[in-house]
Amino acid sequence: MELEVQNNARARRRIDDSKSAGMTAVSSLQFTGTQQRPPAAELVRIRDLIYQVAGIFHPDNKLQLLQDRCSRRMSELKVATLHEYFQCLTIRPTRQAELVALLNEITIGETCFFRNQQQLDSLRDVVIPKILQAKANSCLRRLRIWSAGCSTGEEPYSLSMLLLEEANGLLQDWNVEIVATDINERSLAYAKNAVYGSYSTRNLAPHYRQKYFVPVGDQLQVHPIVRRNVSFIRINLSDNERVTAMKSVDLIFCCNVLIYFDLASKSRVIQHFHSNLQPYGYLFLGRSESLFGVSDEFRLIHLPGATAYTKKIGPAQEGSKRI
Amino acid sequence: MTTLSVTKEVLLKRLEGLHQIPTIPTVLGPLLRYLQQPVEQLDAQKVTDLIAQDKSLAAQCLQMANSPLFGRWQKVDTLRGAIVGLGFHRLSDIAMSCGVLNMLPGEKTSIDPVVFWEHSLGCALMCRHFARKIGFIDPSKAYLSGLLHDLGIIVNLWVLPKEFRAAFEVARAAGIPLHEAEQQVLGFTHCESGRLLAERWGLSLDLIEVVHLHHSPQDSVNHGALVSLVQLCDLLCRTSGLNYGYVEKRQVNLAEETGFAVLARHYPCLKDLDWARLTFELDSYLDEVHSLVRSIYRT
Repeated sequence: MELEVQNNARARRRIDDSKSAGMTAVSSLQFTGTQQRPPAAELVRIRDLIYQVAGIFHPDNKLQLLQDRCSRRMSELKVATLHEYFQCLTIRPTRQAELVALLNEITIGETCFFRNQQQLDSLRDVVIPKILQAKANSCLRRLRIWSAGCSTGEEPYSLSMLLLEEANGLLQDWNVEIVATDINERSLAYAKNAVYGSYSTRNLAPHYRQKYFVPVGDQLQVHPIVRRNVSFIRINLSDNERVTAMKSVDLIFCCNVLIYFDLASKSRVIQHFHSNLQPYGYLFLGRSESLFGVSDEFRLIHLPGATAYTKKIGPAQEGSKRI
Repeated sequence: MTTLSVTKEVLLKRLEGLHQIPTIPTVLGPLLRYLQQPVEQLDAQKVTDLIAQDKSLAAQCLQMANSPLFGRWQKVDTLRGAIVGLGFHRLSDIAMSCGVLNMLPGEKTSIDPVVFWEHSLGCALMCRHFARKIGFIDPSKAYLSGLLHDLGIIVNLWVLPKEFRAAFEVARAAGIPLHEAEQQVLGFTHCESGRLLAERWGLSLDLIEVVHLHHSPQDSVNHGALVSLVQLCDLLCRTSGLNYGYVEKRQVNLAEETGFAVLARHYPCLKDLDWARLTFELDSYLDEVHSLVRSIYRT
């Protein structure tokens, strides 16, 4: 139940975020000429803690972003130093709730269409051709994609648009089926309504905006042709029975969802993904999200500007240590 | 096969005969030779004097020395100050970076010189970072290897500009690795042309192997670990934003690369390495490498 509460909190946050068109842009560390101090040791410790617990990594050039997020939490908690805040995350009784609160801050602004363009380009240019090749002899010309933890729907609709662009080329004569799941009813209702404000649509190229959206007041609604390929289902990723039913998928997208799970739950979900995925399938996580220390059944694949996971062939390797 | 022998012959002839073949910058020859000595015999003043002979090089060195990429968090305005602040080897790395990368032809080339700089510098930094991570004995040598591994591309740009342009266009259009396109179009790769120049310069044997075998580390006889380290870092850079200015449309599983097996024999810890984290750490270099190279190249 704790997980469900966390995920609901996250989903509410995302809906609120997606509505907040005036949100300030994510700041990034400007090393050259302006930043002439090494990162604070406590900040690096918080970075490592988040990576260890949630599997999401902040490279050095994104540490200022992490600092900003910590600062917001610190002013809320009336905590003066990073050292003290680190204790809030590790020692105090409310550490679990505080970690979730920080993760919420970290993922603010993540929800938008075409959030990770390089990931989508790699999908189109490298991954889809490989999957089609693997399925060349299959009598059923169907591409089945699972957007796990789809929140308010931007991800599955982005995938649908990207693949519609290939309908007369790469995917000619192929059916695309995108199953988008989330634990939160409110998010799913929002996704099915498919009306979005300017914050969610900020990354949309004019071509996509004109071709696949219909203006509704000062917002945009996703065109039915895009929605046709996407079905929304409420699934709690911790619900073994429901998750097991998601069989034979070619691709799984699960971005910034597992970061909220503890290690045991995360391992269980990943085990399900492994069973659900076709042998030639791919698992995509969020940018800077890792499965290291969670599962040995997947192997890391490098794509142009992105990473993904594929199923390991043969017995899983022994448990891994960090270097 | 005729193409191969003829083109190689042509290349060799041009390398032997033409004046525009890049010669090792005046300052760097003595610097490289000086660096071959044991560390305890090296003198910081001597290095300062060597670099200061070339005013432009010295200015670029200072610019790089003030970048966080080289671990400097306070401003330095003299070479001497850079040695004190950064250490002797770090400044040598910087001098080599500026010197070698200044060798690109001035006229319009198929590879954007800025992009080539970014790839070489990014690879050098990644090699150093990776070397430290796995406990490689000489991170400074790893840096130099990453910096010089594509020496053959500089040779090709000087000696076979038209032919190399054709190969580059094939690589870009098909989204395939450059060395594969070179093999198709020229019958040889920058690895061979780089080896010729590296030998002519009298580089150390390990560096010659890096330049020659970084796409086939399994052929390395004496320096397999170093060559493999460069191969893996080169691949990581090319799949990230530190490529040659075009996207290679393919997937890479580092654990299946020949260099992985070679390096894992020397460093068994490689199998337990968090490759995802290493990849994310590379991201932290991207912006800084881009902005540093662009600022230096404009000066």
